[in-house]
Amino acid sequence: MTDKKTKDTADRRNFLKLAGLGTLASGASVVTGGAEVVAADADAGSGYRETDHVKKVYETARF
Amino acid sequence: MSQVTSVQADIASEDVDRAILYGFIGRMLQAAPTEEDLQAIRGLQADDTPVGQALAGLSTAAETTTAEKLLRAYEDLFIGLGRGEFVPYGSYYLTGFLHEKPLADLRATMSRYGIERSEGVSEPEDHIAALMQMMEGLISGDFGQVATLDEQRQFFVEHIGSWAGHFFKDLSATDTDAFYAAVGALGRVFMAVEADAFAMTE
Repeated sequence: MTDKKTKDTADRRNFLKLAGLGTLASGASVVTGGAEVVAADADAGSGYRETDHVKKVYETARF
Repeated sequence: MSQVTSVQADIASEDVDRAILYGFIGRMLQAAPTEEDLQAIRGLQADDTPVGQALAGLSTAAETTTAEKLLRAYEDLFIGLGRGEFVPYGSYYLTGFLHEKPLADLRATMSRYGIERSEGVSEPEDHIAALMQMMEGLISGDFGQVATLDEQRQFFVEHIGSWAGHFFKDLSATDTDAFYAAVGALGRVFMAVEADAFAMTE
């Protein structure tokens, strides 16, 4: 990784952290009460599922 | 069929959060939240970051509504072509019609990643909720492997960046329902953060 790329990546991470992303899941500071909740939502998956090794399907039954 | 957990230890914490937010916003726009969802959202404690403030706004809005109320609001806002206040499909937002080139472009991309609709689903794939969930899957690796940042950026720029910000801005301004307006505000902030963050590593 070039120096510029390393710096860009670090800048991006810092930017996202300042915007409020990076501690939601851990619940460290941003969303203490909600961490459990939001993470539980995440555990439900994206709504897209692997059906076999090639095809991925998303479920839109609730649409 | 094995369930792939969205949150993986080898993904950076801010990317885990991005996946969570994409998934969360996607679910809020896929169907009305349950009373349990609302209870959880009311319990959110947010800080003074832009995303934190938007979450706080959503939490506040959740205080004064019910699942039953939101079910009706969801229908008023999103259900029925020409009847819902919003038609939350990329193709419709960009061209005024469903099934236009933006949808065809998305289908080509989905096919590249091996993503497809479930059988029996007739909804076009460019629904905002589906796009949010696809980003969640790309970031968290639900589609086999974690998409690189370049791949994520390309998907975002091609299928989301051109219209989702406008959609969320419009939704944030709706008088129909304060909770969904707060979902719009959250989406608007998040899309702006994403666009800026992607631009930093181009």
